Amino acid sequence: MSTDNRLDVELRTEFGKGAARRVRRAGKVPAVVYGHGTDPVHITMPGHDTMMALKHANALLTLNIEGTEQLALAKDVQRDPIKPIIEHVDLVVVRKGEKVTVDVAVHVTGEAAPETVVTVDHSSIQVEVEATNIPENIEVSVEGLEAGTQILAGALALPAGATLVTDAEALVVNVSAMISQEALDAELADAESEAGIEHDEPEAEAAEEAPAEA
Amino acid sequence: MLIPRRVKHRKQHHPGRSGMSKGGTALAFGDYGIQALEPAYVTNRQIESARIAMTRYIKRGGKVWINIYPDRPLTKKPAETRMGSGKGSPEWWIANIKPGRVMFELSGVPEEVAREAMRLAMHKLPMKTRFVTREGGDI
Repeated sequence: MSTDNRLDVELRTEFGKGAARRVRRAGKVPAVVYGHGTDPVHITMPGHDTMMALKHANALLTLNIEGTEQLALAKDVQRDPIKPIIEHVDLVVVRKGEKVTVDVAVHVTGEAAPETVVTVDHSSIQVEVEATNIPENIEVSVEGLEAGTQILAGALALPAGATLVTDAEALVVNVSAMISQEALDAELADAESEAGIEHDEPEAEAAEEAPAEA
Repeated sequence: MLIPRRVKHRKQHHPGRSGMSKGGTALAFGDYGIQALEPAYVTNRQIESARIAMTRYIKRGGKVWINIYPDRPLTKKPAETRMGSGKGSPEWWIANIKPGRVMFELSGVPEEVAREAMRLAMHKLPMKTRFVTREGGDI
């Protein structure tokens, strides 16, 4: 993702959970910037703008740290597991033209052959790419692929200038045959009898039986 | 049904129910998931019922992952028994679920099918849950 996200951030002078909670109550996000052998810089980011910028994977951020511009990539984002809140962000300093290793999502497109199931074994792969030219995802087409087809990481079409870091033999997409209806019915019947699940009689059968009983 | 083959202690204390889930709060395998919003003990029967409900709806397409395991025994004293005389006998196997935990995942089906399959599965679970999907920023 090469879109420039410009964020005005402030330097943080208070540390610890009390200070971090005060920052969050003010609608901001505590963060730290590090990398390239520099000392870590503790900052406060604007809450909503940060959330919008981090909606895209591997977003390149341009931080305006009190007048000084700095390019950074989100290395780690701590989110609340329930609420849509970003609790803390780790940012790593990058330079224009520098190559970075990032995880890029694999996006499956197209419809495989009938009677097949497409499973993504690696939902992301690691690539080394220019920091200013990180792809948002890598598309894999499964159009018309037959059961038994496997797409390995080495076979993915990477954008120009990107090199694969993940093992080239890693399985990314697996196209397998659907389970047969009989096998599925048998498996579910076994599971239901073990769990003690009983099905109600179908309505049509119940209606047929009702007058006879009366 | 999911049952541990062997345990170190047959009768355990009730696991703590406070706090949030420490991990497993994001999708790891599939594209859609069921996330717990409340703490609860989920029994192996409930897990199996939810899996069957989902599998029945998606029929032969798609793949289901169960991310939780009922590895804690709960005991029960028989009815009309006086107190004392030791701890009851193991009755249930439960997974101790805390808010935020993604319990089931699903892939290989369209979103509408996944939503309906998971809605049916949610009715088998003893806590409030929600449907979650993989978002752009999540990897």
